[in-house]
Amino acid sequence: MKVLTDIHTDFAAVAASRDVMVEENSRWHTLRQQAKAQFERNGLPGRKEEDWKYTSLWQLGQEQFKHQVSQPGHADIYDLQLVEDAYRLVIVDGRVDFTASLIDNLPAGLTVSPLSQAIERASEFLNQQINIEKPGFNALNTMLMNEGVFIEVAANSQIDKPIELIVVNTGRTEHYAMHLRNVIVMNESSQATFIETYAGNDNANGLTEVITEINLAENAELFHYKLQREALDHYHIATIAAKQATNSKWHNSNISLGGKLARNDIHSQLLGEQSHVTLNGLYLVTGEQHVDNHTRIDHAVPNTTSDEMYKGVLDQQSHAVFNGKVIVHKDAQKTDANQSNRNLLLSRGCEIDTKPEMEIYADDVKCGHGSAVGQINEDQLFFLRARGLDEISARSLLTFAFAVDVIERIANQELKKSITAVIEKRLPKGGNHE
Amino acid sequence: MKMLEIKNLHAKIDGKEILRGINLTVNAGEVHAIMGPNGAGKSTLSNVLTGREGYEITQGEVIYKGDNLLELEPEERARRGVFLAFQYPVEIPGVSNIYLLKAALNAVRKHQGLEELDAIDFLTLVRSKMQLVKMDEQFLHRSVNEGFSGGEKKRNEILQMALLEPQLAIMDETDSGLDIDALRTVSEGVNALRSPERSFVMITHYQRLLDYIVPDFVHVLSEGRIVKSGDKELAKELEKSGYSWVHDAPEPEGQPA
Repeated sequence: MKVLTDIHTDFAAVAASRDVMVEENSRWHTLRQQAKAQFERNGLPGRKEEDWKYTSLWQLGQEQFKHQVSQPGHADIYDLQLVEDAYRLVIVDGRVDFTASLIDNLPAGLTVSPLSQAIERASEFLNQQINIEKPGFNALNTMLMNEGVFIEVAANSQIDKPIELIVVNTGRTEHYAMHLRNVIVMNESSQATFIETYAGNDNANGLTEVITEINLAENAELFHYKLQREALDHYHIATIAAKQATNSKWHNSNISLGGKLARNDIHSQLLGEQSHVTLNGLYLVTGEQHVDNHTRIDHAVPNTTSDEMYKGVLDQQSHAVFNGKVIVHKDAQKTDANQSNRNLLLSRGCEIDTKPEMEIYADDVKCGHGSAVGQINEDQLFFLRARGLDEISARSLLTFAFAVDVIERIANQELKKSITAVIEKRLPKGGNHE
Repeated sequence: MKMLEIKNLHAKIDGKEILRGINLTVNAGEVHAIMGPNGAGKSTLSNVLTGREGYEITQGEVIYKGDNLLELEPEERARRGVFLAFQYPVEIPGVSNIYLLKAALNAVRKHQGLEELDAIDFLTLVRSKMQLVKMDEQFLHRSVNEGFSGGEKKRNEILQMALLEPQLAIMDETDSGLDIDALRTVSEGVNALRSPERSFVMITHYQRLLDYIVPDFVHVLSEGRIVKSGDKELAKELEKSGYSWVHDAPEPEGQPA
């Protein structure tokens, strides 16, 4: 196994200092010790690893990350919140900003807490869904994570407002690395909406490394939206993993706009019959940006469904990777799985590596997948210009039109509107396309 | 007043000469029909007039209201009042019809130094124009031409024309793919837009359309030149005897072979 051995940041030293946070002999402490041993053995993955074939971590390995801030910087949360009325946890430069957070008046049945204040309960759910034995960030995160959000929704509770997590790297401390863990526990027949935003000031050049573990019990339903809009010199590495029981539903939307390098590993395990997952993704990259989405869906039992649609818009010298794996296990009859990845290339310099994969070990299934790479349609462009739109506006409109069906799939109308506004600003020429 | 003057226009695509010396003058208020067999250069003519890329103009000029039309970008032509009704209107999934109409109208109004219409005035205006082509309001909120029938697409073109109120409308094979009811609706829409200030150039293979939109002049295009001009009776002649005779027609005087 080829791993990245040349890592300039001494993560082990940081890990030693983080041990004081958790009690010795606790489950968390044990996990940390195991993770540390694994990371020291395996380090970060190199490009010989199949999952990292198109994404090099060499440059990340060369960075000298800092893990402490003397004082968090300032962030204008109002500009970053995507919905007005929400239960909200704000983390700025690794620390919870209680003034900007709104977690004091929670309804019955809902827990929203900084991870650091929910260690005991969260511990039960840690590392249930990730594997620390492979080289990579799961071990690193387990040994270093010290904040995040812990959310638990009690059985039969439907939460009225979205729960919003806003994470900001202000750039006040250069090369600052945050290691976060989010834990979401959806008990039987509960329902909630979770929105996570990762942002930063333009000069932020650190690392946000985050794992979100989700438990969906029977009949639970989670609407889950992630917006990553960090600065162009920032690294973002994320894993989102969910285990789904009978008749549970997980609707995930993953929008990547920012970062020098952004990587998402998204994994759903459909472990109960009638469970369903939707994975929607949109990435808009330009300049020298690199975005990599790896998704995996395991249909482990009969009668489960999945629907995946990822779309990408690439400009200038940007590079995107899509790898979508759908595994239909041996006894998972009557699986219905659909996957697509479409890409719009706006310039000659960009590169897309797309690999939809289906591994099917059952014989009575309905599975479809496809990928496409295209450019702006010249006939459509001419039509719009012949109606008086200038070329830049017409290109911008067609780019938005390409991305719009991912946005259309956002169930919350207010969120749809604010995400549309964020995306429009990122088009070749910002404009209002409603 | 001269609306459009095409003088000795020669155009090539992929090195092949398609237009070989077209001369045509269209005055304000006139309706001209340009007819011709397949391959005569009809579509090339409309594409060159509206500025589609890929054509090389080797000789001649086109003057629109005193300006050199061929030097203008397609959007500039549109803003100055040139409208192309497409033979094959494109589908644009993800762009709503109402958005297109608003963007197009505002582009023209901005050029004319007018304010953008507010939402209510715009909707009132669009509704009145939709009645003209008998379009249901639900079409406003659908993606441009996506899933429209042939007739619906053409009606949508006329709706755009009615809204933008062009000076010069170029209609490329507007009757293709239309059944008789749709043809009647589309023609009524066009006839309602006829005015002393507005000119039409209708490019068509068949005479059928001219029963509904009666032209002032009919020209026969063959092998890249206008070989015969006349009034509406010429179209009927063509209907009777087909296009075979035009190949035998003498070269127009003063044009090199």
